[in-house]
Amino acid sequence: MKTKNKAMIVIFLAPAVFLYTMVFLYPTIRTVIMSFFKVEGVTDAVSTWKFNGMGNFKTLFNTPLFVSALQNIGLIWLVGGIGVMLVSLLFGVILTSGVHGKSFFRSVIYLPNVISAVAMGTMWINYVYNPDFGLINSTLKGLGFKNAAAQWTGPELVFWSMLIAYCFGMVGYHMLIWMSGIERIPTDFYEAATIEGANVFQRFSKITLPLLKGVCRTNIVLWTVSTMAFFVWSQLFSPVNLSASTVTPMSYMYELVFGASSSAITVRDSGAGAAIGVILTMVVIVVFMFTQLIVRHDDVEL
Amino acid sequence: MAKNKIRQKMNWKKELALAPGYLVVGIWVVFTFVLIGWIILASFSTTREIFDGNLFKFATGLHPENYVKAWKTHKVSSYFMNSLLYTLVSCTLVIIVSAPAAYVLSRFKFRGNGFLQNLFATALGIPAIMIIMPLFSLFSQMHVNQSRGLLIFLYIAINVPFTIFFLNTFFHNLSVTFEEAAAIDGCSPMKTFWMIMLPLAQPGIITVTIFNFITIWNEYFISLIFANTAKTRPVAVGLYSMIQSMRYTGDWGGMFAAVVIVFLPTFILYIFLSEKIIASVTGGAIKG
Repeated sequence: MKTKNKAMIVIFLAPAVFLYTMVFLYPTIRTVIMSFFKVEGVTDAVSTWKFNGMGNFKTLFNTPLFVSALQNIGLIWLVGGIGVMLVSLLFGVILTSGVHGKSFFRSVIYLPNVISAVAMGTMWINYVYNPDFGLINSTLKGLGFKNAAAQWTGPELVFWSMLIAYCFGMVGYHMLIWMSGIERIPTDFYEAATIEGANVFQRFSKITLPLLKGVCRTNIVLWTVSTMAFFVWSQLFSPVNLSASTVTPMSYMYELVFGASSSAITVRDSGAGAAIGVILTMVVIVVFMFTQLIVRHDDVEL
Repeated sequence: MAKNKIRQKMNWKKELALAPGYLVVGIWVVFTFVLIGWIILASFSTTREIFDGNLFKFATGLHPENYVKAWKTHKVSSYFMNSLLYTLVSCTLVIIVSAPAAYVLSRFKFRGNGFLQNLFATALGIPAIMIIMPLFSLFSQMHVNQSRGLLIFLYIAINVPFTIFFLNTFFHNLSVTFEEAAAIDGCSPMKTFWMIMLPLAQPGIITVTIFNFITIWNEYFISLIFANTAKTRPVAVGLYSMIQSMRYTGDWGGMFAAVVIVFLPTFILYIFLSEKIIASVTGGAIKG
């Protein structure tokens, strides 16, 4: 019986482990090594790699465009993160408080996640933000604020326009995670609290919030993972060249390694591209460890 | 009678307390509808009507030819069929690879189980940027870059960790009594999995497959690097390259028609199956 199980365990796990090794483990290790070497083309043989120590990292931090990319991703993570977490938690609480049409609202708010980011981005850029017939400008004009109409995708506002369009979609995703956490809290907790005379806000701060610590950690980690990969929105809002206002580490890496457009970067540098990957991974790891610290294991988790 | 009255009053009071909630959520929902509704209207209008803001009049009638143009001239048909192929094949194979692995990890005690679970979980945090460069180099040595098969292979591999992670919890919540009963009846563990546990896990498999379908249909970065040719492009990259060319031709009706074609499959799927997701999330224990 036992040997039979052993064979089954091996057979059932082998394909998944093979795919993991080939597509995650091996490339990750190789990228980390690559980040310490001077590598020009991504397909260059290992024999042409030259050891460069921390050189790739130094080059990156001395490149103004990469520094802008880091600033942008920092703002996206922090400002966008606070906004998305608060709005999605608010929606999660509203939808679990006994409203009618809960599943309808939930479906509609989650909807942008179902639609291709390229399609969503096109809608935002070519409709909502359009200076001629766009939703915002025509609404402002309709309300009599003619002067408030602006070039939303112009150089000054493009970063914030991009961030809002991105966050609009993310709210639904994080709302679902909050809701699944809230719904796991037994209703008798609330019933007991109501009998004891606790109001809505007391119930939220004394029951919901403390029991959502684990979900909060999940949300922060997931937000970090998805923002570090911020790429398509940056491409959509600055399609021709990289610009300091929308560049992110990922779009900068894409230019460095795969050099798609005729932008300011002409020299290909895959070693620096790998270094960007290592930096982003470090951010994810640091945030993950930090969230483990805030939410201790001895906390109540549902 | 009196009791009934009290309940009614309570409900009315409750609804009033919820009013701000309805308002906030309502505004958000209306905005979403305006956004998508406008795009659909625009996709049936001419470029001129869009710029004049005469969308709701349809003075020159509906313009379904926008769709024909997008589908045929702008090659959306090719991108669409590619995406359909990538999505259907990858979604099926992902389950075949992940479900057995998730089952074994959730049910059997063996050395390295916890390690493997952590290993798969870390893949969820590895940014795509960490894996694409060595893979690009490897696959160009194998001369398989920019091929359909490669993209399907990558989509399977990339979605396995999440699927295992998801199904792992799902199997974990299934009662062991099913297996115990099967073992008493002399059913082998492997047969028990295929005949009993896999069908029981169906709600979980459907949910995760919907997620995978949507992820793969909308996937952008991997296909941009590994399958960015006119022949192999899926919808997301195809739509992007089309929008770039339409900037110069200025065919706005056609562009919005293309946007609608691209989001329609996942949108329709979502309309019909969002209830399924909700049911499997909130439904709780499976009634055997």
